[in-house]
Amino acid sequence: MGEPVGLAHVRKLALALLLATMLATIANAHEIGTTQIHALFRRDHTYAVTIKSLRKPRPAKALLYFDGVRAGALTGDIPPHANTFTFRYEGTFSTYSLMLQNEGSDAVATQWLDAETTSKPFALSREVVPPTRFEVIRQYLALGFTHILPEGVDHILFVLGLFLLATSMRALLSQITAFTVAHSISLALTMYGVVSLPSRVVEPAIALSIACVAIENVITPRLHPWRVVVVFVFGLLHGMGFAGVLHELGLPRQQFVPALVSFNVGVEAGQLVVIAVAMLLFAQWLRNRRFVVTCSVAIALTGLFWTVQRIAL
Amino acid sequence: MKRFLFIACLLSCAPLVAHDFWIEPSTFHPAAGTMVATSLLVGQEFTGDPVPRVSSQIERFVVRDSAGERNVAGFEGRDPAGFVRMENGTGAVVGYRSKPAFLSMPPEKFEQYLRDEGLDGVLATRAQRGESKQPSREIYSRCAKTLLGIADFSHPLGFRLELTPESLAANRVVVRLDYDSHPLANALVIAMHRDDPSLRIRVRSDAHGRAAFSLPKQGVWLIKSVHMIDAPPSSGAEWESLWASLTFEN
Repeated sequence: MGEPVGLAHVRKLALALLLATMLATIANAHEIGTTQIHALFRRDHTYAVTIKSLRKPRPAKALLYFDGVRAGALTGDIPPHANTFTFRYEGTFSTYSLMLQNEGSDAVATQWLDAETTSKPFALSREVVPPTRFEVIRQYLALGFTHILPEGVDHILFVLGLFLLATSMRALLSQITAFTVAHSISLALTMYGVVSLPSRVVEPAIALSIACVAIENVITPRLHPWRVVVVFVFGLLHGMGFAGVLHELGLPRQQFVPALVSFNVGVEAGQLVVIAVAMLLFAQWLRNRRFVVTCSVAIALTGLFWTVQRIAL
Repeated sequence: MKRFLFIACLLSCAPLVAHDFWIEPSTFHPAAGTMVATSLLVGQEFTGDPVPRVSSQIERFVVRDSAGERNVAGFEGRDPAGFVRMENGTGAVVGYRSKPAFLSMPPEKFEQYLRDEGLDGVLATRAQRGESKQPSREIYSRCAKTLLGIADFSHPLGFRLELTPESLAANRVVVRLDYDSHPLANALVIAMHRDDPSLRIRVRSDAHGRAAFSLPKQGVWLIKSVHMIDAPPSSGAEWESLWASLTFEN
């Protein structure tokens, strides 16, 4: 089955109009053919070159260069540090139009070229050029850290809940370690698509985990062995929450692992800062049961409120 | 000897610099009353890109048959560029004449193009003027014709450079090359076969502008010639080239 006749006519008419309107801009060329080439540079740091022609396109005759270095295919990743793109198509004998566009920009640069000529360099926008590994690590470290401090109030309260039942430094470290290992595992597994839970489940569960930890602080002053296990399970939930944020932020395809690890390290750094500040301010109050209970009740109520709120939303 | 043949083969396989222009009809032998689509093609070795109809580039696009001459109809910006209704079964000739367009080439390419098209006089003049290392500034225009069916095609359409068949036998074709309605002597005229583009027969026109070809096989043929003269001073170019072509099926 071919395409509908009406659509084919519209396309041909569009080509006719394009040729007619652009003809005035050409003063030095061979005959204008029917070949149109569109190069799009995307914000996910990939590019795509499409060749439209009444004659069978010849992709092997398309020569693509980033900063003068040949790129192999019509689609692929934009190399880091690339500033300019140039193009040459030896699959035509006539003059053709080359349209170049950075995604997100309305400006489309059109060049009219012959088979023998290479295009003028097209400037790639900062958004489409992938950052270097160092830039990725720096960026995702900061994102991970700020996701805890100051943006992650729920995670802060959870960590403070752990802190309040830290009868000793060892008890605190065991809980923090369980939490860290768990959220690192679930973050990685979720980002790689191995596990998946909808955010309408994860977000209320995170809020409930805050309340659970705080309620346990109220119920018992002792650190029971199961506490570490419970913290580990809750850590898995928090990791899925981090993954949700990372999905929204997006991970660079070319630097997936460095970005993922950096984000996790940033989260870790944020948690450690929360613990350090809490230690500095409240360490001497941890043996005061009333202080622990009061703070834990406040945290528990907040966690329960968020639970209801997140379920309702 | 083998080495010589290898080098000769390499030279003959080298890409041509200049692009031919010809008319390719949907059929060379249409029946009376049928509509023939006439595509304009630009390319090399009988492989071409379709050129859409652009009115601003057309000086003349006509069909002539026993009923007279009329314009070739078509849709703007579309390929095929024209449609011809065969009013009778006696054949017709379709001609396309473009307006001049400007073209500049690096010196090496331009010199290669002059060699390919046998424009030795221009090569010599450029050398004499010390311009061989300078980029070209050229205006060019097309004078393409195609023959539909069997008819008396010996009357030229009046293009500035024109190939007109005088004799069209199965294996021998004689064409006359006219420039400004006068026979053009000593011009390189090349015939090539569509199904075997490597088959190129090169002939110099005689004093009467005639070029005779012994065609080794039947099929669709393109005969072409390029003539180059000094460009008019007002054009901003140094050279003006005229590209004549004739397509037919023997």
